[in-house]
Amino acid sequence: MLLGPNGSGKTTALKLISTLLLPDAGAVRVGGFDARRDAGEVRRQVGIAVATERSFFPRLSARENLEFFATLDEVPRPERAHRIQQVLCDTGLEEKADTLVMKFSSGMYQRLGIARALVKRPSALLLDEPTRSLDAATTAHFWTTIRALAAQQTTVLLATHNFAEATAVADRVLLLHRGQLLANRPLTVGESAEALRAFYFRTTGEIDETSIIGNL
Amino acid sequence: MSSTLDKLRAILWRDLLTAIRHRSGFVVTLVGVFTELAAFYFLSRAIGPGFRPDGVEYFPFLLVGTGVYTFFVMSAQAFLSAVQEAQQTGTLEVLMTSSTAPTELVILSSVSAFTGNLVNLLVYLFAGVAVFRAAIHVNFFACVAVLTFSLVLALALGIAAATLQVAFQKGSALLWLFGSGLWFLSGTMFPIQTLPRPLELIARVIPLTYAVDGTRRALLEGQSVKAMAPTLAALAGFAVVLLPLALAGLSLSLRRARQNGTLSFY
Repeated sequence: MLLGPNGSGKTTALKLISTLLLPDAGAVRVGGFDARRDAGEVRRQVGIAVATERSFFPRLSARENLEFFATLDEVPRPERAHRIQQVLCDTGLEEKADTLVMKFSSGMYQRLGIARALVKRPSALLLDEPTRSLDAATTAHFWTTIRALAAQQTTVLLATHNFAEATAVADRVLLLHRGQLLANRPLTVGESAEALRAFYFRTTGEIDETSIIGNL
Repeated sequence: MSSTLDKLRAILWRDLLTAIRHRSGFVVTLVGVFTELAAFYFLSRAIGPGFRPDGVEYFPFLLVGTGVYTFFVMSAQAFLSAVQEAQQTGTLEVLMTSSTAPTELVILSSVSAFTGNLVNLLVYLFAGVAVFRAAIHVNFFACVAVLTFSLVLALALGIAAATLQVAFQKGSALLWLFGSGLWFLSGTMFPIQTLPRPLELIARVIPLTYAVDGTRRALLEGQSVKAMAPTLAALAGFAVVLLPLALAGLSLSLRRARQNGTLSFY
C-alpha cells in the first residue's frame, strides 16, 4: 500500500513502475525486468488502473472496450470472453456490460478501469485510488477481490490516502511524503485505521486537525 | 503473426463500431465530397475546355490532384486526431501500458485510418467519374504501384504528425501550415511548371508532387509502369528514407515524453 497525501508522489511511483514515466535516476525492476531496458516485458507483467475516468472509447460498450484492451494485452483468444465476464462480475458491472460507456457514471468508469487492469491477470497490479468514486457495497466487494488476488500470488500496489482502505486490504505500508519514502513496514494484525492514522501523522510531522477538533 | 492480426482485427472492429454508431459523420463526409466535386466541375466549365494542364481536361486534373492531396492530409489528420483524442481522453497512457509495443500500436492504428481514407478517395474518384463524367484512361498496375508508394508516404506523414503532437502538443497548427504549403506547391490545382523557378525546385523535392503526378499519369493517361519508372523510383526513394525517419522520430518523442512526464499533455 502506497500511503501519502496529495502530491506526495504516489501516482508518479505507479507511472514509473508501469513504464509510463522513465526515471531520471535509479532503476525500476518488475519481476526481474528493468523498466527502462525491458519496458515490453514489464508492461506484460503490470496491470494499472489509473485515476483518469474517461480513458475508454465512448461509443463502445464496457464489454467491447474490455475485448479491445484484452486483445492488445495479448490475452489468449479462447480465454478472453470468460475472463471478461469474470472481471465484469468482480467489479459489479455484469448488468451494464453491453451499455455504451459514454452513458457511464464516474463510479462505473472507475470500476471498468479496475476490470481492465484485472483482465490481463497481471503479476503486479497497480491501483491509483481505486475506490475514490465507489459506493460502500462496491468498495467492500472490491476489497474482497483484492484480498483474493493477493492470496493468488498477485502483487497488488494500491495508492491511497484512505486509512480505512489501507488497513482493510494491505499487509505492508509504504509511506510517501513530498517524494520521499518515510516508512516501509508491515501492518500488524488487527491494526486499526486510527492507529495507522496516528502513525502517519507522527511520521510525517503533519498536524492532524481532526484530532485537534476532537480534543476541543 | 496471429497475435498481430488479432490486434489489427480489434482495432478495425473498434473503429468500424465507432463509425457505425456515429452515422452523421459519414453523411457529412458524403455531402462534402459531392459539394467539392460540383464546385470543381463548374470551375473547370467556367475556365473552359481550352485549358488542358499536362494535356488533360481540367476537371479530371483537379479530381486527381485534390483527391490525392486530401488523402494525404486526411491520413495525417487521422493520426493526429487519434493521438490528440487519446491524450484528451486518457486512453494514450493506458494504451502505452498495454503489452503491445507503441510502434506496433501506431502502425496497426494507421491501417484502420488508411482504410477509411482510402475508401473516401475511391468514393471521391468514383463519384467524379460516374456522376461528373471525368474522362479517365486507367493503367491498373501503374495505379497499384503509385498507390502503394503513396500509402507508405502518407503513413510516414501521419507518423510525423503524431510525432509533432507528442513532442510539441501543437500538431494541428503545424499540420495546417504544412498542408497549406503542400496544397500550393504539389501541383494539386495547377501544374508546378507555372510556379516561379525557385518554388518549382522546392515542389520537386516534395513527395506529394510525385504522388499527384504519378496518379494522374496512371489514372488519366494510362501510362505503363515502365513509362513511369522515374516517378515510381522517386516515390520509392522518398518512402525508403522517410518512413524509417518518421518511426525513429516517433520512438524518440515517445521516449522523451515518458522521460518528461508529458505523454498526456495536450
